[in-house]
Amino acid sequence: MTTATHLPPHAAEAARIAAANRARAVPGRKVYVKVLRCDGPGKPSRWETFQVTVERGSNVISMLQQIAASPVTADGRKTTPVVWDSGCLEEVCGACTMVINGKVRQSCSCLIDDYAPAEGDTITLEPMSKFPVVRDLWVDRSRLFHNLKRVKAWVPIDGTYSLGSGPTESPESQEQRYVMSTCMSCGCCLEACPQFNIEPDQSAWDTSFVGAHAINQARLFNEHETGKRLKAERLDALMSAGGINDCGNAQNCAKVCPKLIPLTESIGVIGRAVTIRAVAKFFSGR
Amino acid sequence: MASTLLLERHHFLLRRLHSLTGIAPIGVFLCVHLLTNASIVWGLLNKSKAEHGHAGVATFQHEVDFIHSLPFLIIIEVFGLWLPIAFHSILGIYYARSGRANTSRYAYQANWRYTLQRISGYVGVLFVFYHVATLRWGWTFLVPGGTKWSAEAAASTMAMVLQGGDTGLTAAGVVVSLAYMIGVSLLVFHLANGLWTAAITWGLTISVAAQKRWGQVCAALGVGLMLLAWSAVIGFATLDVKEARGTEQMLRSGHAPPPQVAEGAPTGTTSIGGGH
Repeated sequence: MTTATHLPPHAAEAARIAAANRARAVPGRKVYVKVLRCDGPGKPSRWETFQVTVERGSNVISMLQQIAASPVTADGRKTTPVVWDSGCLEEVCGACTMVINGKVRQSCSCLIDDYAPAEGDTITLEPMSKFPVVRDLWVDRSRLFHNLKRVKAWVPIDGTYSLGSGPTESPESQEQRYVMSTCMSCGCCLEACPQFNIEPDQSAWDTSFVGAHAINQARLFNEHETGKRLKAERLDALMSAGGINDCGNAQNCAKVCPKLIPLTESIGVIGRAVTIRAVAKFFSGR
Repeated sequence: MASTLLLERHHFLLRRLHSLTGIAPIGVFLCVHLLTNASIVWGLLNKSKAEHGHAGVATFQHEVDFIHSLPFLIIIEVFGLWLPIAFHSILGIYYARSGRANTSRYAYQANWRYTLQRISGYVGVLFVFYHVATLRWGWTFLVPGGTKWSAEAAASTMAMVLQGGDTGLTAAGVVVSLAYMIGVSLLVFHLANGLWTAAITWGLTISVAAQKRWGQVCAALGVGLMLLAWSAVIGFATLDVKEARGTEQMLRSGHAPPPQVAEGAPTGTTSIGGGH
């Protein structure tokens, strides 16, 4: 069990509040789940409130399952089951990311006890606002993956013959890169970013801000012994419109990252790399 | 469309020039400008100027005379100030429009500074325009009392601009003084916070610890500039216009006031320096 002393201040504070709530939560209580619903792309949104029974360890997903089993609102009106997206249910896939009580996070790891500890408390669920809604709490995160392609966030090993084994990675480098590699493309950093906003026009995706996740992945692969073969191409992509310069340094990304990835440090590292590349290009022409 | 393409083709250069112009010449100028203006207060410590009356007024006049003695002043103004400020402002507004503030949900300190950086930019543009239009271009219809600032009577006319006339602080004068107070405060914040973000943009500060350390340096600079800015505004808003005029007259005639002569003070033949 990770102790709070290992956490950065903002995460330690959140953990402390959650623990205090959990300590006073009573099993078997009834709480309200308020959901921002939407029947499909382009359809209007509406709020619906459900009453659920909370047991020890209940999380947002298990409450949504309870609602799905009996889709009746708190005022007794029959409705459709709430739709959501999920995969691993252990906070490593990112699919169930949504806005809970106004802040973005994964719903599978969100314990009701932490958020609604008393009888009659309300927990509010909204879909992420920076991606198009498919239905209810399910959003389409295609742009997030599109942006990873913009910065070539991969190790180039494809070919028609075996390239053999790659260079050795030092343990120090592995250790440094490990936390960056824990990114699960969930979208929290983008949801909280004031510079990343919903863009319905797909032709604008290549020139709108890539987001902290892509910048961090560019750094991860730039520091990989084989991945760094694409370093120049990644930096060129990040020097163009919608790249690193569109970051406004609000630094919300690092605050909401569920994996505590030092996203703002990655932004600094890439900032330095593009400065050096710009100077090199100015004097050497490439 | 063509302008969008131009912005995209030279995206990196324009972004970095935007950052650079904020530091130099604009940021450097702001520091010098505030130091000059605050001389209305710190000039009081200048004992050698006291023989001409109000030492703050005399020191400020000396500073203004020095600036007006610079060669090719209009060239310095246009290429060193007006064009860089216009460039920084226009691009800044264009860039700021791409963001959408979300402090209501993510009320983190850095997020507040992000939002305030943009607000201070917008307000700063309006303030600087008003400031330059009224004091440099002579748009006196925007000044309560209609005072035209004069480099020959720098302190007294500046006080009249802020006070709304030469009969003490009027209600309109309070509004102008408050606008100056808010305007300069926001601009000082914009510079201090801009220096903090520029260090990340250019890749000088990388680690959280380094950003925190540099943040403390920027905060200290901001506090220092804020004190200069506030002392300048308060200094002029509370200046006795008649006393200031007297001092300026004596500086122009190059004579010390008669009472001091009578008391055996050094004669006022010493040159006050600058552009006489």
